[in-house]
Amino acid sequence: MTEEKQTTRENGLKRAFQFLTSMPFAIALLILLALACAGASMITQGQTLNWYVAQYGERTASLIMTLSLDDAFHSWWFILISAFLCLNLLFCNLIRLPQLISRTKNEKNVNVTAVTAAGVSVEGIEDAEKAFARLRMPKPEEGQDEEGRKTLYASKNRIGLWGAWVCHLGILLLILGFSLGQFTKEDYAVYGVPGQTKPVGETGLQLTIDDFEIGLREDDTVEQYTARITASNGAGREEKAEISVNHPARMFGMTFYQNSTGWAARIGITKDGQYLQDAVLCTGEFVPVKDKEDLIVYFNAFYPDYELVQGQGPMTRSGNLNNPAYLYTVYYRGEVLGMNVLMPDEVLTIDEYEVTFSEPQPYTVIQVKRDAFTPLAFAGGILVMLGLILAFYLIPVRVLARKEEDGTWTFYGLCQKGGPLFRERFENDLKELSHAAS
Amino acid sequence: MLQAENILFTSTIIIYFLAMILYFVFITTKKEGLSKMAVILEIAGLVLHTGAIVCRGIGAGRLPLTNQYEFATAFAWGISLVSLIFILRFKFPVLGVFAAPIVLLIIGYAAMQSREVRELMPALKSSWLGFHVSTAIIAYGSFGVSFVLGIIFLMRDKMKDSSFFGQHIPSREKLDLIGYRSVALGLLFLTFTIITGAIWAEQAWGSYWSWDPKETWSLVTWIVYAIYLHLRLRRGWEGKAAAVFAIIGFICVIFTYIGVNTLLPGMHSYG
Ligand code: HEM
Repeated sequence: MTEEKQTTRENGLKRAFQFLTSMPFAIALLILLALACAGASMITQGQTLNWYVAQYGERTASLIMTLSLDDAFHSWWFILISAFLCLNLLFCNLIRLPQLISRTKNEKNVNVTAVTAAGVSVEGIEDAEKAFARLRMPKPEEGQDEEGRKTLYASKNRIGLWGAWVCHLGILLLILGFSLGQFTKEDYAVYGVPGQTKPVGETGLQLTIDDFEIGLREDDTVEQYTARITASNGAGREEKAEISVNHPARMFGMTFYQNSTGWAARIGITKDGQYLQDAVLCTGEFVPVKDKEDLIVYFNAFYPDYELVQGQGPMTRSGNLNNPAYLYTVYYRGEVLGMNVLMPDEVLTIDEYEVTFSEPQPYTVIQVKRDAFTPLAFAGGILVMLGLILAFYLIPVRVLARKEEDGTWTFYGLCQKGGPLFRERFENDLKELSHAAS
Repeated sequence: MLQAENILFTSTIIIYFLAMILYFVFITTKKEGLSKMAVILEIAGLVLHTGAIVCRGIGAGRLPLTNQYEFATAFAWGISLVSLIFILRFKFPVLGVFAAPIVLLIIGYAAMQSREVRELMPALKSSWLGFHVSTAIIAYGSFGVSFVLGIIFLMRDKMKDSSFFGQHIPSREKLDLIGYRSVALGLLFLTFTIITGAIWAEQAWGSYWSWDPKETWSLVTWIVYAIYLHLRLRRGWEGKAAAVFAIIGFICVIFTYIGVNTLLPGMHSYG
């Protein structure tokens, strides 16, 4: 490679790097991200191909699947945009760090030319100390300009220079904490009615639901869902807790939430009039028939106060157990054999088998979670807040006063972010103190 | 208490309406004194409005920020409050000319919602919810004001400086800065809203962010205002482009608030 070619290539790389860390690229990424989020929210997430075909038709559905729009927030392109955003933020912050440190120092030390050249000025001030106080500035330091004239200088809110930097760092941590959490968190839902013990995913923990209570108010609305639970780790250790909505508990390093509720019922199956099996099923669960595993009874839904409305199908009039009814589907070798609503005194007969539902009762869904990166994400959130407060409400201001030959002071103010608003305030504040104006 | 709320609420609407009329008369007759009266009326309206919300809170025995009616009236209150602060702070009564109809529109929307006091479902009983919704009100109020400022900015570009409007509207540069102040206030509070919402969701559902449409749209809104901030820092893009983004931002706010509930599926359906 000739030297010339190499430098062009280096220049190209340098330019690419500059672009990737630049603000226009950041703006482009942010626009893309906003569009991506807005687009994804329009499409119901996490459905099957068939669902999308039914909803949108064959062509749109296949487009949705090809572009992973069914799971947009975990798709390769969403992750790619986020990754670029992180890199962009990271390098932007790294590059700007030295400059920021030196600017912070600069603000502290007087730079007469900078302030006098760029600032607003008011002449003829007699009482400099009063003027600094009126401008809500800290106590000034004495100094001299190049021509040996006496100066007073004060600066405030230097820390505000760090606002954007802190905010960007916060965003970075937030994205990082959230993504790492997505990849590493353990998250399980355990369903059950009191008395049942079920494993918590692959954690080795067993969760027993000791009690589940729905607290009602006088008007039958729900006040609170409360579950008493016991977790055991298989090595003989047990911990107990009471959890309710908004009041999770921690056991064995995991957090247990009272997440939601639904209906469960006992399903009984007889064969030729003889008891075969029974089980408690939550809605959405199924059982295979014991000696004919290809035959499956699925418990679709439960209606505590059943009513069949013309044109709308089965409904429940209230949450009270006035007229319970069970919606089931029977599958044989994957094919639907039948689907119907069964009342408590009715029997579903499939050849030699008879199926009944009874003992409806609420079940609880307990969410069990461990995410070591949640604190990181929240720390990021706090930093974003802090950064915004710094950037918006601690705006750096510099004020310089110079003693003139006639003994009065000329005041210069510099506030890059304040623009005409700062100019107006500055002039207004000093108007009365200036005898040039009066 | 709820009786008192009804009376106060109705009077609030009447006073806001009168304030709006006065603002319009001010614009057409160009009489300075009228704008002062309009501002005073609006302050009176805000006081009554605050009274109505407080009465409802006492009557319901909880923070009155949980259903569509309560949130809509609080949203109108937020815009009314923030616009008054900006009118007084920047001596800018023309802001009221544009803000008053929007306040009226939103409080009108509130008036159409059911005013029945309902007990809260368990997930809503959290002090984080209080923070979440009250910060949202200030955020939405500020964004309402930046929307109005964005519109005024774009209109200003079409007018001569010597016209009545031209004289009563600050310079381009100043208008841009005032808009920036309102977006800044809004974005700070929106960030607070999102974070407190995340903490609440973490406690109630064990998941601080689940890409529910309402969450997603609050993020879209947040990003749009972040874009606004960065555009302002690019030479040549402050001013007009920023004003356009301030307007888009508020459209996102309204969509997050109303559109998501009615058009998209999700679990924020109660508020
Ligand atoms: C891709 C990522 C981003 C990059 C590369 C980037 C870059 C920058 C740069 C170079 C500045 C100028 C700083 C200054 O003049 O002091 C800035 C300002 C700022 N950025 Fe970002 N930014 C990004 C994303 C964001 C996001 C998502 C937010 C969220 C709110 C944000 C908030 C801010 C704030 C508050 C300021 C200060 C603006 C002001 O004071 O008016 N940035 N950003």
